[in-house]
Amino acid sequence: MFISDCRREFYDVIVSQRVLLLVASDVDALCACKILQALFQCDHVQYTLVPASGWQELETAFLEHKDQFKYFVLINCGANVDLLEILQPEEDTFFFVCDSHRPINVVNVYNDTQIKLLVKQDDDLGVPAYDDIFRDDEDEEEDSENESEGSEPSEKRRRFEEDIIERTMKRRQRREWEARRREILFDYEQYEYHGTSSAMVMFDLAWIMSKDLNDMLWWAIVGLTDQWIQDKITQMKYVTDIGILQRHVSRHNHRNEDEENSLSIDCMRIAFEYDLRLALYQHWSLYESLCNTSYTSASLKLWSVQGQKRLHEFLADMGLPLKQVKQKFNSMDMSLKENLREMIEESANKFGMKDLRVQTFSIHFGFKNKFSASDIVYATASLMENIEKEGPETTNFIKALDSLSRGNLDKLHQGLALAKKQLRAIQQTVASCICTNLVISQGPFLYCSLMEGTPDVKLFSKPVSLCLLSKYLLKSFVCSTKNKRCKLLPLIMAAPMDVEQGTVIMVGIPPETESSDKKNFFGRAFEKAADSTNSRTLHNHFDMSIIELKTEDRSKFLDALISLLS
Amino acid sequence: MSWACPAPVQSWLFPLPVRVCAAGARPPVLGRVPEGRGRCRPCLGQGSEAKAGRTDLIFLIRFRHCCLLRNQRCILAYLYDRLLRIRALRWEYGSVLPNTIQFHMSAEEVEWFSRYKKSLATYMRSVGGEEGLDLTQDIKPPKSLYIEVRCLRDYGEFEIDDGTTVLLKKNSQHFLPRWKCEQLIRQGVLEHILS
Repeated sequence: MFISDCRREFYDVIVSQRVLLLVASDVDALCACKILQALFQCDHVQYTLVPASGWQELETAFLEHKDQFKYFVLINCGANVDLLEILQPEEDTFFFVCDSHRPINVVNVYNDTQIKLLVKQDDDLGVPAYDDIFRDDEDEEEDSENESEGSEPSEKRRRFEEDIIERTMKRRQRREWEARRREILFDYEQYEYHGTSSAMVMFDLAWIMSKDLNDMLWWAIVGLTDQWIQDKITQMKYVTDIGILQRHVSRHNHRNEDEENSLSIDCMRIAFEYDLRLALYQHWSLYESLCNTSYTSASLKLWSVQGQKRLHEFLADMGLPLKQVKQKFNSMDMSLKENLREMIEESANKFGMKDLRVQTFSIHFGFKNKFSASDIVYATASLMENIEKEGPETTNFIKALDSLSRGNLDKLHQGLALAKKQLRAIQQTVASCICTNLVISQGPFLYCSLMEGTPDVKLFSKPVSLCLLSKYLLKSFVCSTKNKRCKLLPLIMAAPMDVEQGTVIMVGIPPETESSDKKNFFGRAFEKAADSTNSRTLHNHFDMSIIELKTEDRSKFLDALISLLS
Repeated sequence: MSWACPAPVQSWLFPLPVRVCAAGARPPVLGRVPEGRGRCRPCLGQGSEAKAGRTDLIFLIRFRHCCLLRNQRCILAYLYDRLLRIRALRWEYGSVLPNTIQFHMSAEEVEWFSRYKKSLATYMRSVGGEEGLDLTQDIKPPKSLYIEVRCLRDYGEFEIDDGTTVLLKKNSQHFLPRWKCEQLIRQGVLEHILS
């Protein structure tokens, strides 16, 4: 059931209760979690926070804690499946689901008692009407009614015939209704996409209660930027949401302009920026950033020698000496940095990169600390999927959660270093895949598989890194190929996950087009293919388009997919 | 700050008649080892010989006497340090010590501990009005009623005042009343998170 008044139906209900927070493993969920934690700490709501990286962990956590808690808040998990069936809760347990995954499962929408959805109503949800999918089962019983006793045999026979006609008509109606229902449900559940960021929903709640702070606003910004970086929302939606957040930013951060009442330099400020789209460029050198951002790397085709030459031409066009550009950004000459953004934009237009600047926000506190929202997203995401340290996965989650607080700058810097490694690894892998033609067209989709010996392949056994790699690969492939048909195909990427157990992680992403609506049909396709071939697959991830399967079943799975989708 | 489990009392010290008395807040007054009653049997013989007039042994006796005094000082320092640690255990663990620690304490130390407990309890009762004041809580000035804690290792179920239980698993975070968490924070099961 959708909640219309977040404050009365959600917050006021749990403020006097003990709550269990189940949080998914992505940056948007972490940001939403931080905002909610801040609100809970303000109001002394006793809560317990348990990270969940997949359905199995969610179920385990639920089973462990169901005796102690009656109220569960799920962040970025649980909306797209039938929760009651999976978790089998008691009658008096309540679930509040704040999830950006769509489509929302119809059972969750129409359950009036136990499941409450914290979803903004202006997301175009397109939920089918109740009567189209649910129907009382009383009609079935009429078919098995006994015949009434009749006095005369002819009357009996007539009534018998009438009964039969009635029954066949009802059966036919029922079959038609069921066929229509299957069609409606198929259309509704076919494509996966994402709605408003959970962090923004939580910030909205804080704002309604007038408890919003600059910190919470920053987390909402980071949550939205994470959705944009992972290509989960359309450009339109991103720009609209940025507009919404900008109003809040100007409300919280207008004091700078007044010279008399200016804030101390240590206070945190957020500023709107029309910044460059280069990843981590302020913490790296401009050259490295240009090489390792997918947009520039794909447009300039930096995997080829020609591409490198074009990069040098690009830099020369702007009048930036190579020596300057290759050193740390902070140490570049001030004269070069002054009009950098405008200069780069001008030159970029000449080289075919029209969208090099993007609307975003940056945060400032103290003299040394200035970060852009995308920096934080990259840092936190790489901390969460850090493969360097051994230990349970939850340690990485906790570290990433900590790095979002401003007091933990050392963790943030560690995250930035890891993010640089990750981006470099991604670009090198993309370059090698394109140069060795590893991306093959299988008909209805493109397919690329990473071999075990590839450098940094362990990095790509994690879902978010693999998704990022696939998106960058698809972008680069679209720029590199001359085949017009291939440019419109979606991509399936496979990478070895666990060598000992012989599993492979597979990710499907929608095609890369200018006005793509980011709707992904691979979730259902994977399910159907797995069923039809009896492959041993594990759909553990909250995104349905990411699965794990056994290496031996890979080829028959792919064959089934090809026949399904062509 | 957590003291390690005190090691078992060195058993060779037992023959030494060191007297300890219950202290409360005062450091224990230790008895002196009477002169000559050391373990050094040869000393006795030489002592009597020295009295008998053999003056060339005086230096040897004096030297041995100094060694004995030094040993006595060291032993007393060791025992005193143990007592200080046992006293700190009362503030850290509470009035019931875990078995592993009690196993390492000598009988006299156990008795000292119980007398210290009693003395502290009497004092606490006298201080806070009718009910007394529990001084072992809130050792650092508390900033808020509820604190955020993170579990550092698997602990199991933990009961809070209103009867509900919380499952403490590694890396789970909780927001709990401060007074319930203090014990576990001191033991190292939970970690206080400052945001």
